[in-house]
This record gives sequence, structure tokens and C-alpha cells, in this order.
Amino acid sequence: MADNTFDAIVVGSGISGGWAAKELCEKGLTVLLLERGGPYEHIKDYKTATKEIWELPHRGSTTDEQKKKYPVIHRGWAAQEQVMDAWANEEDCPYTEVKPFTWWRSYRFGGRSILWGRQSYRWSPMDFGANERDGIAIPWPVNYEEIAPWYDHVEKFAGISGSKQGLAHLPDGQFLPAFELNIVEKDVAARIKEKYKGDRHLFIGRVANITIPHNERPGCQYRSRCWEGCPFGGYFSTQSSTYPAAMKTGKLTVRPYSIAHRVLYDKDKKKATGVEVMDTENNQTYTFKSKIVFLCASSLNSAWILMNSATDVWPDGLGSSSGELGHNVMDHHYNIGAEGEIEGYEDKYYFGKRPTGFYIPRFANIGSDKRDFLRGYGYQGSASRSGWNREIAELNIGKDFKDQLCEPGEWRIGATGFGETLPNHENRIYLDKTKKDKWGLPVLAMDAELKENEIKMRKDIVADLIAMFEAAGVKNVRPWETYYSIGQGIHEMGTARMGSDPKTSVLNKWNQVWDAPNVFVTDGAFMTSSACQNPSLTYMAFTARAADYAVKNL
Amino acid sequence: MDRRELLKMIALATGSAVIGGEFFLSGCTSGAKTEAGFTPTTISLLDEIGETILPATSTPGAKEAQVGQFMKLYVTECYPQVVQDVFMNGISQLQETCKKKHGKLFMDSSVEERAALLNDLEKESKEYNAAQAKKDMPAYEELKKKNRSDQFIASPQHYYTMIKQLTLLGFFTSKQGATLAMRHVSVPGRYDGALPYKKGDKAYS
Repeated sequence: MADNTFDAIVVGSGISGGWAAKELCEKGLTVLLLERGGPYEHIKDYKTATKEIWELPHRGSTTDEQKKKYPVIHRGWAAQEQVMDAWANEEDCPYTEVKPFTWWRSYRFGGRSILWGRQSYRWSPMDFGANERDGIAIPWPVNYEEIAPWYDHVEKFAGISGSKQGLAHLPDGQFLPAFELNIVEKDVAARIKEKYKGDRHLFIGRVANITIPHNERPGCQYRSRCWEGCPFGGYFSTQSSTYPAAMKTGKLTVRPYSIAHRVLYDKDKKKATGVEVMDTENNQTYTFKSKIVFLCASSLNSAWILMNSATDVWPDGLGSSSGELGHNVMDHHYNIGAEGEIEGYEDKYYFGKRPTGFYIPRFANIGSDKRDFLRGYGYQGSASRSGWNREIAELNIGKDFKDQLCEPGEWRIGATGFGETLPNHENRIYLDKTKKDKWGLPVLAMDAELKENEIKMRKDIVADLIAMFEAAGVKNVRPWETYYSIGQGIHEMGTARMGSDPKTSVLNKWNQVWDAPNVFVTDGAFMTSSACQNPSLTYMAFTARAADYAVKNL
Repeated sequence: MDRRELLKMIALATGSAVIGGEFFLSGCTSGAKTEAGFTPTTISLLDEIGETILPATSTPGAKEAQVGQFMKLYVTECYPQVVQDVFMNGISQLQETCKKKHGKLFMDSSVEERAALLNDLEKESKEYNAAQAKKDMPAYEELKKKNRSDQFIASPQHYYTMIKQLTLLGFFTSKQGATLAMRHVSVPGRYDGALPYKKGDKAYS
């Protein structure tokens, strides 16, 4: 075997790429894992993870220079001193916003698996059937029964903590013991259950943080600083989980600083022969050969690679014959909700910092609940006592002011909705031929926005949450909304959707590109609809399934 | 606590948005002049203002937590130049206001006089910030229509708002504030969601 030839090439080392590498290696394949960013080693490179807040010069804030260099990251909560090294350099890696689009990228080994929110929910038969039932876009080519064993498979390895709820529209999984609701959340849950006669539910978030030791990982220590990297392997990441498993096989080669920008395509054999890589350190291109290619570069970047590939056959790239490559961009729209105070728990507090809060699964358009829009939304939130940064009535300065701020304040509860976005052909990304990145590669143009269905939904997200909180005895309930533009949910998906017909989809039901069946796309690009649950668990399950299929059909 | 929450909470405590919390696109880049302005005398003054806001009690106060030194770094590195200028000019304005009110500089004033001055400035700053926010509103609304409110640049707030915010942030995230004025556990290792609490128990930082 030549140095540049492997059984499989996996592009991207995030959640999907890590899974592809692990599964393919464990099935005996030699795998080259390409990462466009630099190395980021488990524990050793988690620079801030064991530092105290007073050891950070800006105490968690970003500098004015960072604000100027990372304007996209500064559109929301992603900009914190602890994680600024995680984000892609916006000057080197620009993109074009035809319409406002927020793209939060991490170009470093492990990708966003280090930074992710870890919320892990299965899709349900309702979600896989939604497009067909509503006559929206195209039907999913896969049903829940086909994917359920793969959810089992990935949950058992990743370690998902959660509680069984027995809900048809949010199936239970292979859970480790759940985290706990605090006393206020428990009471609010009980009141919501009573008020809505068992049709609405509030329970602890299902999350890829482990409550007991799991696969040689010690587990969560209740610090809630996950995204700085966990020295205790408390949550699933490439570093803590899939990478060590893949390395154990002796079959894995990792090449950092490698932008895979083109799939090499043999038009006679109608299949890929490998990928072309730009080395970001020396600006040279290199070619690597393989029998199969897994694109796991993140939804938009996997579509970008396809757009750059086989352009001698299809001007708009490999997979563009359907006219759907780069179209149907979806996200979960959020940053909208309500909050308020709750009385009667002044003699209760809590110890430790959970890495999750509560979850309220979808209820809109389920059963007798009918709306003037399609689909629905879930909520994520928590109850806690306010901290030193609160207002103290009648006091601005002095001893009493300080004494009060040193004690916990009133109990508050708040949540944000996460709404489903419908696939819409008009929402698309494409190559901006007028702009190049630092390495002379074309960049993406984003032309997508929330449409009428999502905008209507956002009104109900707020109204329903206010009603539920008020029913649960929360006082002074008020709505809130912060900046959101599509992409900012960090659940971007749909740009190379799967389907049953090559005329209307980029991938078949096994995540294979119709026009090059040895190319698999298993990150969020394959999604045919978005549901409203956090999608990473579904990417894991489809990746493992596709890897199994790919190896069986080699 | 996540950043959004932090900014919102500081905003609540000071009645305004956090300066430098939203991003600014000011043209100037040099903080050198500002840095030079933070002489030892200025840092001592800021420590004393901080101490008036959060005095030493049975636990350390703002001075022991070196909030003046923290402000030097934060203002120089985290504020855009235009806001740095407001902060630096504010220090002289505070002295002027103090002279007018008490006939002497802040450092020469008694504990009571210092407190009276800061209470005045609290009121003045809230009114000023409210007026600025009102003035900014049309520009903000215009950007919001295009879903581009991320590009909104707020007018600088009152200098006292900055001093107070940085006193709170600098103190409660200092080792003294986090571990002595509050309770701090680096690695809790467990969760108790119904911990008994009685008035006077410190918060966990």
C-alpha cells in the first residue's frame, strides 16, 4: 500500500467524522482522517479547563481586538475568553452573507464535538413521517424502525444520560442514570403536568454527559465548563470517545492542517478515487486515494466540497444533478422565550453545577393541538437563584449592598424555544466566485432566512411558554428575544438531502451520493427535514449505519 | 453561568447594558494612551471608589481584590477606543463633581461624602443612560428591520456605569470575592437540587 492510499478517507474530525473513523477502523479498514485545523489533544490542550476565573486576565470577557477579528462569533454567547481559540479565523475563512447568516465554526481537531451543547434526543416516527404527511419537500427515505437500532448502538457507546418518559414522539433510549431537576423545576414540572392533563412534559435534559464511569471515562464532576474541554472525560467528544477507540485499532492515520476541497471523481467508473487536500501550512496540494470517502466536514462545508468536485461533468459539482445541492438549508431557530421569578423556595438552594437543564418536548400540532403553522418546537431552560449581578432594591453601594450580593438572590426560571425550520428550496448556499479564502479557495455565499411558517411559530413559542410558566405559579413572567439569524442555532443542515429519487435528492437512503456511490455524506447535510430536537445524536446514528453499509458493500 | 446570562445580570445590576459586552467597531486601535493614563494615583482612586461600592467587611472588599488594577487591563484591552476615552475623561469629571459637591477631591473626602457622591452619580448615570438609549433607538430599530441588529453600535454609557460594572465584575470574579466573600468549590463532584438554605449563607461562586 502506498503512503497516500487508504481503504477509507474521512473528511472532518467532529462528531460525525469521529464516528465514521471509529466504525470504519473497528471493521478493519485503514482510515485517513483529515482535519482542516490543527491538533487539539485530550486534556493536555484544555488550557483553561483547570484554571479559576480569576486566573483569566479578562475574567471571561473577550478583548476589543477579538471583537473586531471575530464579529460573527460576537453575535451571541459564543464569544468568551475561555473558548476564543476554538473558533475559526474569520479573516482567513470569510463567507458572504447575501442575507444575514451566522456560521459558528471550529477548525481544530474534534471540531464542534468539544463545544457542543450535548443535548441528545431521538427523532420519532412522527418526525421521519412529517414531510410525507404534510406534502413538504420530499419524504424521508428512512423510517424510525430502520434507524432505532443505530440509535441504540451510538447511545451505548457515547453515554447518554436521561430519564425514560414513554413518549411516542420523543422515544426513550439506552440511558445512563439521569441528572436531576432541582426542587423548583420538579414542582414546576408537576404543575404543568396537572394543568395540561399529561399532554405537556418537563423533565431533565437528555445529555451526552455521563453520570457514572463509562468506557474508561471517569465522568461528570458537576463543573459545567464542558466546552473548555473536560479533563474528566465527562462528555462525549471526538477526543474523549471516538478518537481513542479508533486509535486502539491501529488502523487510523490523522492528518491535521488539511483542507479537503475536492473529491476526485473517475467519470468512466462513476465513482470517487480519493480527495485533494490543501495543506494549510505550506499551501501545497496533495492527493490521497481510497475506496470510499466519508464527508463529515459539517453540513455547509461538505456541500462546499461537493460543489468543488467533478465540475467537468457537472458545472455545479458532484451531487448537483438533482438541482438540490446546497439548497434546503435548515437550522433550529431560537434565542426567544420567557422568564420570571418564583416564590416560596427561599429556604432552598443547590450544590454543584449541572451540565444540562430541563427539556419540554414538542406538543404543538400533536394530537388535538392544532396550529396555524406546521410542526413545532421544544424548550430548554433551567431554574436557579440569581447571582451577584442582580439589582438590589434601594441599595447601590456599601456594606449591606455587598452582603446581599454575596448571598444567592431570588429563584428565577427561564427557557428558550427551539423551533423546527421547514426545508425550502429558496434557502440555499452556493459558491461565491468573487471571493477567495486565505488559500485561494472559493468561499460560500449564504442566501437563507426564516420564512412564514417559522415566523408564525415564534409567536406561539413565546405565548405558550408564558402560559405554562404562569400556570406553574411563576411571577412577573416576561418574554425575551435576542439576536438570531439562520445558522446561529448551530444546527445547520439539509444542504445535501437524502431521498428516494435521484432527481430530487443528493443522497440515497444510505447517505451515498447518487452520482458517486462510494461517497457518503453523514453530517447534517443529509437531513431531509429538521424536526426540533438537537440533531447530533441523529448524525451519529446515520454515520454508524452508513459505515456498516459501506463496509458490507465494499 | 453563560455569557448572555452574565451580561444580562450585570446589566440588571447597573441598569444598563454592559459596556464592551456588545461588540463595537471603532476605528482606533491604540490603547497606549489609555494605559498611560492609569497612573498609580488613578489606580488608587479607582480602588477607593470600588471600596465605597463594595467595602471590606468581615470579608475583603474591592480594594483588596485590586479592582483598580483590573480596570486598567479591562478598559485598555476590552473597551474600544471611544469608550476608553469616555472612561478616562470620566475620572476627571468625577473629581470635578466631587469638588463641586464637597469642596475637595475624592481621596480627601470622608466615607460619608464618598458614598453621597456615588449615590448622586448612580442617579445621574441612570438618567444619562436612559437618554442615550432613547437616542439610539431609531438606529437600532432600523437595523433590526433588516435583521442586522448585530451591527448596532450603542453610544457610550455614563462613565460611572463603567466604573461600577467593573467593580462588580472585578470583585466577584477575583479570588478574594469568589472564595472569601462567596463560597467556591472548584470540583463539586455531585449535585444536590434541594440544598437547605438559611439567610446569611453565602452564594456559591
